[in-house]
Amino acid sequence: MASQLPRRIIKETQRLLADPVPGISANPDESNARYFHVMIAGPDDSPFAGGVFKLELFLPEEYPMAAPKVRFMTKIYHPNIDKLGRICLDILKDKWSPALQIRTVLLSIQALLSAPNPEDPLATDVAEQWKTNEAEAIKTAKQWTQSYARKFIL
Amino acid sequence: MDDEDMSCTSGEDYGGYGDEDYYNEADVDAADDVAVTPTHSEEADYECLSVNQVERVFIDGVNSLVSRIQINEKYARILLEANQWDADKIVTGYRKDRTEFMRKSHIESKPEPKRTLSATTSMLKGYCSVCAMDGYPTLPHLSCGHCFCEHCWRGHIESRLSEGVAARIECMESECEVYAPSEFVLLLLKSLPALKVKYERFLLRDMVNSHPQLKFCVGNDCEVIIRSTEPKPKRVTCQCCHTSFCVKCGADYHAPTSCETIRQWMTKCADDSETANYISAHTKDCPQCHSCIEKAGGCNHIQCTRCKHHFCWMCFGDWKSHGSEYYECSRYKENPSVAAEANHVKARRALEKYLHYFERFENHSKSLKMEEELRDKIRKKIDDKVNEHNGTWIDWQYLHKSVSLLTKCRYTLQYTYPFAYYLGAGPRKNLFEYQQAQLEKEVEELAWAVERAEVTARGALEAHMHRAEHKRQVLLHDFFF
Repeated sequence: MASQLPRRIIKETQRLLADPVPGISANPDESNARYFHVMIAGPDDSPFAGGVFKLELFLPEEYPMAAPKVRFMTKIYHPNIDKLGRICLDILKDKWSPALQIRTVLLSIQALLSAPNPEDPLATDVAEQWKTNEAEAIKTAKQWTQSYARKFIL
Repeated sequence: MDDEDMSCTSGEDYGGYGDEDYYNEADVDAADDVAVTPTHSEEADYECLSVNQVERVFIDGVNSLVSRIQINEKYARILLEANQWDADKIVTGYRKDRTEFMRKSHIESKPEPKRTLSATTSMLKGYCSVCAMDGYPTLPHLSCGHCFCEHCWRGHIESRLSEGVAARIECMESECEVYAPSEFVLLLLKSLPALKVKYERFLLRDMVNSHPQLKFCVGNDCEVIIRSTEPKPKRVTCQCCHTSFCVKCGADYHAPTSCETIRQWMTKCADDSETANYISAHTKDCPQCHSCIEKAGGCNHIQCTRCKHHFCWMCFGDWKSHGSEYYECSRYKENPSVAAEANHVKARRALEKYLHYFERFENHSKSLKMEEELRDKIRKKIDDKVNEHNGTWIDWQYLHKSVSLLTKCRYTLQYTYPFAYYLGAGPRKNLFEYQQAQLEKEVEELAWAVERAEVTARGALEAHMHRAEHKRQVLLHDFFF
């Protein structure tokens, strides 16, 4: 941790704290400024509404030349998020660009909650369900939201 | 080729003749001597080029394209690399719809919404959005106009190079797909010689790999590039390091077997090694460019980093075809007759079949190694005889030629086994196995005669040689050429 924190990360952190995205909070860890504790509120128009999802975000040494590593800590029923919380999102992989930011990444994840994409699935069983019986899938997603994503709401 | 001809016919260098790859060499003389005139050559037409000569080939390609369409040389290179140097295809695409073509070829960007006021003012202050610093005197950009500082560009290039990407380094802006021309990259790397060398090496690799006539010599540390228009998997021999290989796939020359079959066979043969197990369990080859891809995440939508092809990990189909009828590939298409058979019976039968062919393949490979020793012995014998004034060196050359021919025949015979393994049952297979058996018989008879060359009359030995080479030619003629 000897290396100095790049100015880009400092500025991004400052802006995240001073001007947060509605429905998203991101706070750097006290002992590691590259590690962020993230909370995303389930979008109102989605089966995840009413839940608050905890994520972790880490900026690797190469950032911003390499994408941040993001993972859901809260269990979620979503075709593009697997059991381990890994997210299938193009900008976290081959579509990463150094011009993207923590802010844009979190916004994309929020959008992914509003618009699950079963055509590009990570959790294949969930995607299958989403495709064949969407009503049932949405019901399960709502139940999971109630069971697992409400503990941060006071 | 010249070197070999010299060493075989004039004998200036017969003492040094006998590299480990002699059986790959172009010793047509042995065949000629036994009066079998091959109707087709096993040698590809080719030339060996240095890096500078290859650069000349690229420049010629670029110049010829530039003379046909109005385009800058640096973009011509990008176009040629992306289109396998097919100038006609490029000219057609360009003339049909220039704007669309240049966008699709990653040379120009999509029209963008007007730049916001803040973006314009920050550019005036020399602001780079990637490192969030301002005051830069210059902000280099590609044709798309996205400006970033030199330091960030270098970081980006270094990062792409570490992933093995050189010819297709994209702009740093999100969703901008414009590729950086080599001119742009080299200018940025001027102060970083190590990185520049790496970039040049990778770029050369990308350019050569995209060129259908070019292939790197597979010899260790050999920098020669082979140029050939040969459509068949014939043999080339590098004039610099003398390595012989198949002009199409770069593996050991493998007539009569095809490149795909020999690749399958070699993977299969390596199956008991741990690496091979890992490769087969965790990787697949890109259906478009055949790069080996390791699946690192859970997502089944794979994009090849080399050729950028999108495909499905499960069914290997183009990802786009997945769109509407979702996940056709998860459905198991059952073949009732095959499924009925108990699995372990099938596995056992498959193993037996494989072992049958593998043992023969492997056995010939071992025989080839042992006959290498025979060649040394014969060479020594010839020396001894000449020293004892028992005939002249030229008188005993037929012994030497008989071993060369034996090796050549055995080599072909070895590679008939992978061919037969993958050949479906039927009259063609029957014919193949008949000819294979004939060649097998002749090769063993020849080997017997060669090992006892001293007591075998020259005429008898040459008759054996003639028959073996004839069978070999017939087999290659029917199944390879």
